[in-house]
Amino acid sequence: MEKEKKEISIIHPRPSSIVAALYTLRDLNVDVAILHGPPGCSFKHARLLEEDGIHVVTTSLDENGFVFGGHDELVALLEKVTEMFNPKLIGIVGTCVSMIIGEELHDAVLEANLDVPVIEVEVHAGYRNNTKGVLFALESALDSGIITEKEFDRQKVLLEEATMVEKRHGAASKEYLAPSRGDVKYKVAQHIIDLLKEGKRGITIMNAKKETGYMFADITVAVNEIAKQLGVESNIVNMANIDDTLGLPRVRHHAKCIMDDFNERGIRIHHIIGGMDEYPIAGDIAGKLIEEKYSDYDFVVITGVPHAIPMESISGMEIISVTNGPRQVLPMKEMGHDYVIVEIDLHPKTLGVNNIVESEFGATLREVAKEE
Amino acid sequence: MNDSKKPKIIAIYGKGGIGKSSTASNVAAACADEGYKVMIIGCDPKSDSSITLLGGKRIPTILDLIRSGVDITEDDVVFEGYNGVKCVEVGGPEPGIGCAGRGIIVAIQKLKKISKVQEECDLVIYDVPGDIVCGGFVAPIRKGLVSEAYVLTSGEYMPLYAANNICRGLSKINTPLSGVICNARNVSREEEIVGKFAEEIGSELIAFIPKEQIVQDCERDGFSVLEKAPDSEIAQVYRNLARAIMSRNKSVMANALDDERLRELTR
Repeated sequence: MEKEKKEISIIHPRPSSIVAALYTLRDLNVDVAILHGPPGCSFKHARLLEEDGIHVVTTSLDENGFVFGGHDELVALLEKVTEMFNPKLIGIVGTCVSMIIGEELHDAVLEANLDVPVIEVEVHAGYRNNTKGVLFALESALDSGIITEKEFDRQKVLLEEATMVEKRHGAASKEYLAPSRGDVKYKVAQHIIDLLKEGKRGITIMNAKKETGYMFADITVAVNEIAKQLGVESNIVNMANIDDTLGLPRVRHHAKCIMDDFNERGIRIHHIIGGMDEYPIAGDIAGKLIEEKYSDYDFVVITGVPHAIPMESISGMEIISVTNGPRQVLPMKEMGHDYVIVEIDLHPKTLGVNNIVESEFGATLREVAKEE
Repeated sequence: MNDSKKPKIIAIYGKGGIGKSSTASNVAAACADEGYKVMIIGCDPKSDSSITLLGGKRIPTILDLIRSGVDITEDDVVFEGYNGVKCVEVGGPEPGIGCAGRGIIVAIQKLKKISKVQEECDLVIYDVPGDIVCGGFVAPIRKGLVSEAYVLTSGEYMPLYAANNICRGLSKINTPLSGVICNARNVSREEEIVGKFAEEIGSELIAFIPKEQIVQDCERDGFSVLEKAPDSEIAQVYRNLARAIMSRNKSVMANALDDERLRELTR
């Protein structure tokens, strides 16, 4: 109680628990996700998830639904999607409205009586930490036997860590964080090329959250391409969180796809620092590796969730960070990162793909290198 | 009757089952008998506020009509009952489903849009359900429709507890209390206890309605006392209450008692 009171009240807009639950259902490979609530709820992300190959539909509760409840609408929609999409796994996600009026998702599932397993997530957007949405989805998946107890426990630890990472140096670290586009890509690209030309040794760390890795990996690729072009390939050490034996099925698939692409392009990943859902803890592994082996390196290019890399292991180097969060610029500058670059609108471009996608910064590096 | 004056719009709050609808409909009937233009707006999902003014018949509710998707006009939802009393029922979901509070908000907004009857009346009574458990239940006040709030209670502990809570809620939303009404349950020192309660919260006991079987009997037949037993003593009590309400122009910001004092009061 007391602790809760001390929490800061964050006023900038943030992703909601409902959206977090939707993405988790996606990772659990549901074929259809039903939003039980008003038609516009979580629209932007629902739309993006459709690009990622899952069907997202809504019970479209209106004023009548608010007053009289939406049980019948949910039963009808469960039956309809089963007919339309022939799904093997369905997810239902609550919304603020349906939770406030006390809708029982389970009653509707019982009444619809489908042969398809349904993951019911009773969630609204009123949680301080949006990771709650992930947790509720996983709890429900555990109850329905979709994931194992072991995987659930593992995910729970990761979520707690993810929450802490955001509170320490992330989007939940300050009451208000203004969005920023960060440093100019052209300038930073030129600087990296200069460092390589001077024979400086560098580390790339891709510490990406799940599918965002499809684009952050391109920066690892670009740095290596340029090092090769300049004949200093051996001056670069690569780390990435692409262990394809960890995480939910879809997350493992991403790791495998990205690794295949690295191999195909001849990029050697010297150290795999964890799975693609381990971005909150993989930073510590990278930190330890650096302390043991690479503490005398000159610069580090960190992509994905750069603020999860402990500063003490990299503070002696020049730090170049690439994030997709415009609100992440200021906290990372405050941490001591020398350059912070934002890959704006990265996420939409990494949904529904199975290969590395070109990043703006990667493209900039390649262009600037051409001029050399 | 008073064309130039603004209508008196009141709401009667109190613990569920304490007799709000009975009191509201009898007061409405008594005022109509006095020649006032009266309207009663039932905000309980049970939609039974006006039933004794309509000879035991139910009328279509605003929410039922909204739900069915038809275009609603005044004639669809405003019905004339005993002695010209205009009757409206908000309606609402089955118990335990949906949100009755939101229902009240939606329905009274709709009513305001389609009907001007309220403005033409001398007295409008909002019969609001039970305790003020959520924002919807104070919507008639919050939306600026209700100008006077009354609290109905017996001398029993729980109804007084609820009444006290309601007073706290009213103060919180800056709504003054116009009076306390006692609907007796025949417990010891009832008038004294409720009178003292009214005094201590800074208000007044404006009526003591004794418990009479005849009220029940009339209700069972689907009528108000004023219609079915106009010569009864209790009918006169309602007439007096009606006059008190119509002539009342005093209200105070209630000071809710703390739990201990409330308990002491009822001992």
